[in-house]
Amino acid sequence: MSRKRAYRSKMRILADMMRTIQSEGEDGAGPTKILYSANLSHDRLTQYLEELIEKELIREAEENGNRVYLLTEKGRDFLREFVRIERFSEAFGIEI
Amino acid sequence: MQPEAFPLIRLDLAFESISGIIALIIAYYATKAYNLTDQKRLADLSTGFFVLAIGMFSHVIGTWYFYVRLGIEGDIVPEVRTTMTIVTLVYHFLQIMAYGLFVLSTRRGGRARQPEMVTLMALPVLLDSNLELITILLMLVVVVQALMNYATVRSRFALYVFSGFFLIFLNHLVLMTAEENVLRYLLSQGLQFLGFIALLLMVYKVGREE
Repeated sequence: MSRKRAYRSKMRILADMMRTIQSEGEDGAGPTKILYSANLSHDRLTQYLEELIEKELIREAEENGNRVYLLTEKGRDFLREFVRIERFSEAFGIEI
Repeated sequence: MQPEAFPLIRLDLAFESISGIIALIIAYYATKAYNLTDQKRLADLSTGFFVLAIGMFSHVIGTWYFYVRLGIEGDIVPEVRTTMTIVTLVYHFLQIMAYGLFVLSTRRGGRARQPEMVTLMALPVLLDSNLELITILLMLVVVVQALMNYATVRSRFALYVFSGFFLIFLNHLVLMTAEENVLRYLLSQGLQFLGFIALLLMVYKVGREE
């Protein structure tokens, strides 16, 4: 049975973006890939990417002339912690 | 209480003390989760476990003081009986508050609403004729919600939570039928202890598994 998710918290959106970046590994993820995976508007994407860079959770790089984003060590630690908290909350039936 | 019960009371105090520590660990974890996510229901969950831990520790201190430290045996003088009744009432009141918070925080869908909370907090004052029965009813709701959550998410972590709450619920059922039976009383405390162990396992595994 799938659960209908009517509302995604900002923290979950940021975590979804970071998961997409992590799934691309060393190559990093481009903005279009993140936009589709996290299901965001372009304005929101720009705003959240800036926020993640500012918090040093991701970094921007150039790959064959294209802009890509990579997870930092701090970002990896954050994502690990988020997954633990997500499991904990889900075990009690609390959506985050 | 029969005199031969005193060594068992000490075991019961050990069970309850450890359960209280586990409740504090879960409260700490839920607070950590709340600070990261701002999800109000995690704050309710944290407060619930914190209140439960406070209740457990006050019960342990009260029981230890009257039965172990003062070495009361046989007939209990009326003054001591009154004080013990007050300690037990406070314990039940805090348990009901905690379980009320669990009902709110673990219910599926929607967001916590303040009026419901106020009603639940007022329940012990409104219906003080049988506090244990209220505790059982609240815990039954928590168990059903935990079961529904497990049926939906099918994660082992949700199974630990369901098992934990179910054992705590069983503890109250056995306690209600214990009356003067010390062994049943100890069995009920053992069930509660196992329930908290299941919750502790969940927290441990959540932190360990990649």
